[in-house]
Amino acid sequence: MKKQKLLDAKSFNQKRFSKLSFVLRSLQLLLLVVLFSAFSTKAVAQTTVEGNVKDSEGLPLPGVTVRVEGTGVGTQTDFDGNYSIDVPGDDSVLVFTFVGMTTVKRTVNGNNTINVTLENDQQALDEVVVVGYGTQSRKSVTTAVAKVSEEDFNQGVVTSPMDLIQGKIAGLSVTRAGGNNPNSSASIQLRGLTSITGNTEPLIVIDGIPGGNLDLIQQNDIESFDVLKDGAASAIYGTRGNNGVILITTKKGKKGISQFEYASYVSRDYVQNKPNFISADQYRDIIDQGIIGESNDYGYTTDIYDELVDDTNLSQYQNFVASGGGENSNYRASLYYQKLDGIALENDREEYGFRINFNQSAFDDKFNFQSSVATNFNNANLQGGGQFGIITDWNPTTPIYAEPGGDLNNQGQFGYYQPTNLYNPFSEYANRFNLRKQYTFSGDAKVTYEIVEGLKIAAFGSYQRNEWNDRYYESTEDWANINGDYRGTGYARKGNHVDYTKTFEPTITFEQEIGKHTFDLLGGYSYQYSTTEEYSMSNSGFNTDSFLDWNMGWGNAIIDTNLPRPGLSSFKEDNTLIAFFSRINYSYLDRYFLTASIRREGSSKFGANNKWGNFPAISGAWVISDETFMDEQNTFSNLKLRVGYGITGNQGIPNYQSLVTLGTGGKYPIFLDNATDPTYYQTLGAAKNPNPDLRWERKKELNFGLDFGFLSNRITGALDVYRRTTEDLLYNYTVPQPPYVRSNIYTNVGTIRNSGVELALSAAVINKGDFKWNVDAAGNYQKNTLVKLSNEQFIVAQIDGGNIGNPGNLGNAIRNTEGGTIGNFYGKRFAGFTRDGQWLFHKADGSVGTSDQMTEEDKTIIGNGMPKYYASLTNTFRYKNFDLTVFFRGKFDFDILNTVDLFYGNQELLPANVLTSALGQYSQIKEAPQYSDYYLENGDFIKLDNLTLGYNFDLPQEGNFKRLRLYASARNLATITGYNDGNRDPEVQDTGLFPGIDYRDFYPRTTTVSVGLNVNF
Amino acid sequence: MKKIIYNKFFICFFALIGIVSCTDLDETTYTELSKSNFYNNKLEIIQATLRPFTHMQAWLAFTGQNGYYYHNELSADQVAWPQKGRHAYDNGDHIRQHYHTWTTEESRLLNTWSLMWTGVGYVNAAIEDIQQVDPEAAGITQEELESFVAESKVLRAYHYMKIMDLWGNVPIVTQVGMPENPETQSREAVFAFVEQELLENVEKLQPLSPQLLGRISRAVGYAMLSELYLNAEVWSGEARWADCITYSDKVINGDGGALAGSMMLDQDPLGPYNNTNENSPENIFQFPFSRQNDFGYSWASFYMGFSNMRDALDVTYSGNNAFVVIPSAFDAYQENDIRKQEWFLFGPQYKYGTTEPILGTEEYRDKPLVYVNNIRRNTEGQTGEGSMTDGEENSGARFHKYRSGTKDDENYLENDYVIYRLTEMYFNKAEALIRQNGGAATSEAVALINESKSRYFSEEDWPSEMYTTSSLTMDELLAERGREFIFEGKRRTDLIRFGKFTTGAWWDKTPDGDDHLTIYPIPYRQVQTNPNLEQNPGY
Repeated sequence: MKKQKLLDAKSFNQKRFSKLSFVLRSLQLLLLVVLFSAFSTKAVAQTTVEGNVKDSEGLPLPGVTVRVEGTGVGTQTDFDGNYSIDVPGDDSVLVFTFVGMTTVKRTVNGNNTINVTLENDQQALDEVVVVGYGTQSRKSVTTAVAKVSEEDFNQGVVTSPMDLIQGKIAGLSVTRAGGNNPNSSASIQLRGLTSITGNTEPLIVIDGIPGGNLDLIQQNDIESFDVLKDGAASAIYGTRGNNGVILITTKKGKKGISQFEYASYVSRDYVQNKPNFISADQYRDIIDQGIIGESNDYGYTTDIYDELVDDTNLSQYQNFVASGGGENSNYRASLYYQKLDGIALENDREEYGFRINFNQSAFDDKFNFQSSVATNFNNANLQGGGQFGIITDWNPTTPIYAEPGGDLNNQGQFGYYQPTNLYNPFSEYANRFNLRKQYTFSGDAKVTYEIVEGLKIAAFGSYQRNEWNDRYYESTEDWANINGDYRGTGYARKGNHVDYTKTFEPTITFEQEIGKHTFDLLGGYSYQYSTTEEYSMSNSGFNTDSFLDWNMGWGNAIIDTNLPRPGLSSFKEDNTLIAFFSRINYSYLDRYFLTASIRREGSSKFGANNKWGNFPAISGAWVISDETFMDEQNTFSNLKLRVGYGITGNQGIPNYQSLVTLGTGGKYPIFLDNATDPTYYQTLGAAKNPNPDLRWERKKELNFGLDFGFLSNRITGALDVYRRTTEDLLYNYTVPQPPYVRSNIYTNVGTIRNSGVELALSAAVINKGDFKWNVDAAGNYQKNTLVKLSNEQFIVAQIDGGNIGNPGNLGNAIRNTEGGTIGNFYGKRFAGFTRDGQWLFHKADGSVGTSDQMTEEDKTIIGNGMPKYYASLTNTFRYKNFDLTVFFRGKFDFDILNTVDLFYGNQELLPANVLTSALGQYSQIKEAPQYSDYYLENGDFIKLDNLTLGYNFDLPQEGNFKRLRLYASARNLATITGYNDGNRDPEVQDTGLFPGIDYRDFYPRTTTVSVGLNVNF
Repeated sequence: MKKIIYNKFFICFFALIGIVSCTDLDETTYTELSKSNFYNNKLEIIQATLRPFTHMQAWLAFTGQNGYYYHNELSADQVAWPQKGRHAYDNGDHIRQHYHTWTTEESRLLNTWSLMWTGVGYVNAAIEDIQQVDPEAAGITQEELESFVAESKVLRAYHYMKIMDLWGNVPIVTQVGMPENPETQSREAVFAFVEQELLENVEKLQPLSPQLLGRISRAVGYAMLSELYLNAEVWSGEARWADCITYSDKVINGDGGALAGSMMLDQDPLGPYNNTNENSPENIFQFPFSRQNDFGYSWASFYMGFSNMRDALDVTYSGNNAFVVIPSAFDAYQENDIRKQEWFLFGPQYKYGTTEPILGTEEYRDKPLVYVNNIRRNTEGQTGEGSMTDGEENSGARFHKYRSGTKDDENYLENDYVIYRLTEMYFNKAEALIRQNGGAATSEAVALINESKSRYFSEEDWPSEMYTTSSLTMDELLAERGREFIFEGKRRTDLIRFGKFTTGAWWDKTPDGDDHLTIYPIPYRQVQTNPNLEQNPGY
């Protein structure tokens, strides 16, 4: 498997690459192939060697590749680990390779029987790395590719597959700004921000399906993540390579091992920290002190935050797998069920589905067919989770439930207390639902045929479909409807979304060894068509709640014009992506490696003048430690230098941006044919300023890497230094008005530069007898600069964002200026308080003034919200049958804007609820909230993110059970930070243009504790 | 032989790719409308002609917080958007409007510029496109086509008049995208362009009739000319009082048609604004909003209180408690003035039709909400005039001129927003007469103003309230104009014409240093983008 390198039909020139020229080049390639195959010689069988291969625990290893070095002769071990191979002579060397194990070489020396034991390969120098349209051995990789395999995944509850590798890869940021809400997603960013308005997340490729849907992947089906980090690696994915590529490989059946696996866990979330809002007792104290009037005491005691927390939340995961394989085929079928129960009420997600794959070969493995089908059904309850903000307005002396006719100011309509100008979340829970049913499917098939030795053609096709159905209903007893637009009637909404993508990718590969030279060539074509279709409808006027949303026509708004008009909408869009690509991998002496690739790709999304682009890459590696001059030293057991340069693009923008379309402007009365009454028709005008030159954002990236190993590879690591420049950034530019109709044009102008250093280290600290201690560390430094935003024609001085919000509409917190780093906080500088508690700020002229004296000139850069350093540390301890994982993660050198203290550490907001600090730490503030550096805090933190203790039972060799493991795991266990004295989680959004704002999202941050079990039989 | 077979196989393999999948990247639109598929018939031509009309409500009516209305009212002496505790600091935007301390970087001003020029762009595009239509193919006559063009040109002149009012010196552009960076023209030149376009096209318009509701009719054109000439001295440097009188008279005499029978003042003090005001005999030009027809009237967010006020008016909407009446503007009304009773919400607020109090939610949380005629921190014992940063949730009298009707009213929220009404023509003519007369009232002028004012007083009060040639001074004319047109988005223009905008002091506003503030700065971003734009003097 090591030699599955791929071939490139042509060098990385940038010539225009038409369809015709591709065909011509293919013919050239063909000629080359024919020549090579004519020269390839078969070894002549002379001696037969037999033997058995075992692992370090003495168990037979099926499927081990055994080959004669320097020839094409090879075989594999059978079910019992036995092999038999014909070798040409006594000096022949047998090479035994197996994924995840050390490679062993034995010289025949006249032996007819050679038994070997393969050790687990800690350093995984021979691990197989997935690089897009193929695999490579780790040694021959010339680019920055990081791999995380199953044994290194984060354990415990996983809401998104990306949780498995959070913190594990230097340069890959996975952030859950929404806490552990089962219905929120993680945001992913690799090596910083590469786009302002386009897609900023890496391309996901699941088993070869570009643009794979993460919903289709559940944790136990994943074999590994391979992350293509630099431009040279991701250029083979051309226009979707700007943000890097994450290749996910799922597990397959193994030859000769028929087994069942069962995995299960249960888990519960516990609130980690709760905002310190004033309790009912404290509220009464404030009343007693005369700060607020007595009428504010309603005589009840309610902790609304605690009420909204679901203490009995319980999540579970069940997975059952059957897998196996015979001589020519293997299969794996995995069924799963997962129920994720959020910390909030009415906040859960239930998923189930399966993934089945099948693989069969014929004609001595020359013909191969593989196919997989995966589905995911999920039911999300979206009603709860968003209500915690009510804590800021809820009077803690008011009740949740109230009887009609009581003496509360509100008569407790339908059993719920109804505060003025607010809502009662429990009334919403009782009277509303907001549900999504989603169904995701993918099916793919790949046929490969080896025409002559080393020359394979393949055709890959896939269909991926994602569909959801939304249901929403507000009952006749809903608080908002009683006096609102719906006039006490029910309101229903339904919507449907379907998107699907069809992919077809034929490829041709050729690999050949000629003496000390090895060539792998790849050529291919890619066609991908995606479309989205939606419709939705809404209606009100339901005088009964009997139908919910199942009888939309019942709602009287269809004819009753006193009700808001019923809503009807539908939508469709599509796009096409077409590419030709090729790659050559060349190695000399298995020591010097060169890879070059090019992808020529066209997207329908771009302007008529710029549909196509070329994305070339070149990279090389030199295994210094294999040089003879390194033989004398004992320091380095491995030393490899890598250099790569690649150009990628970004097509992740909305469809139809370059076209002239008409948009609606609202309805206006028209009296047609002298009618006495008007008809209101839509009006139509230009929807945008057209830009036929709209083109790709292009990223150029240079990467230097050093892979190293010390002390017989007990310490290994990789160091990468990169500099990526993304040009032609798309942004909506203000155009001169007049003469343009619309105020903006979407066009390519700006440049972003990211540079950084990444270091990954693994060390076997202790490996003595029963005790093992391994350490893996990853860290990176990054700097993102907005180099250019303007040119002669289009000018933007800054991009403001990160709106702090109301009350007071405090505006944007962050300003990204041309030439500056990304994520600068921009605002007033705190100078103190006046004697009566008014804000004072520094003015630009050096004086000090109150808030109404501040102008735009007085604002300046006051901090930065983008972490510069990321680090993680995994400790794995094994003692006999126990294993313990302790995982720390941290982010450093950034500021956080604490909008919670900003808004609620302020007693001016009384009698609405405030933080206890409003009357303590912040008691001198006697004016409405103002944004300034007063609320910026250092965000540095170290988090004990995962602690897992496992036990593997000793099982009798002859028994039916092969493996039994029990474990307990805790995630997000403790955080060491100075931010807000540890009262709030410092892990806020760190991706995008506006990082570092701790928004008023009171969704509880939780510690998740789970207990699980894995059984193989 | 074998090799040859392989060869053929490959050729087929790649030929297949070439034929089946090809390299076609054309786009198909499904939900969006492409321009090439439009302008096929009369209705479609009208739909394109009317796009700038629906757009106009975004910058002219008080539905927009980034429009002409915002700037023309909040910089003047009647309406303010003060900070009320934790609400409405809004980056100091409204405070700077009130204090006249705006800069070239005001985001709301940039948005206003953009919105108004987008309107010009829509008109230019409509004129360009309509002129290319083959009338025969579209099934309309050449005359109809020309009348659409004339209507669009008059509408464009109106846009330029309002743009000139805010910014003075601006480019004149009549084509889409041409020239790339148009040059600034003097205010005189813009004035001349507006005048010429109006004079050339007004007579081609149809007379106002119920079927021209919301459209540019001849009466609307005359009203524009009346406004143009009334402000000619400010805008062009040359007074044109006689021309103002001429065109005011044309409207008053019904030469431009009428919406309901004949032009006359509406005797109902709420008639021009209520939810059946498409029938008011004094209305000339209005946005025909219609909730029932899915073009809703949504003034609520700026003039309406929070949701606690829903019960006071028995309506389904609520707002964000933004605009309030400046105390001196409320004090400008006599107690016996019907307008003071009808056009404002003031004092204790009750649930509709009851004496059950509406409760506050901020400073007066769970206490009765009582609108007071001051803007200060009464809960903290503040006295005196207060300031732009000292508001509370109940500060100032509130807007009640346009009433939606209660939610059970069959015409609930059907109010049109009025741009020109006959009373304004009376005031324009009267003012022109007085100015022609050196600032002293003439009896004709007094009669005109009295005809308007008499509607708001009882018969017994009227003798003491009516104007005479001696009591109708210029200051009094400005005050009465303010009382009559409060909330109608015209106050800044009036203050400038009376020379009070920069010299006057009202409530929290002190006199400005000089006159450059009578026109706003060209937004910085636009000056940056178009090198041929000249910044206005003083900025």
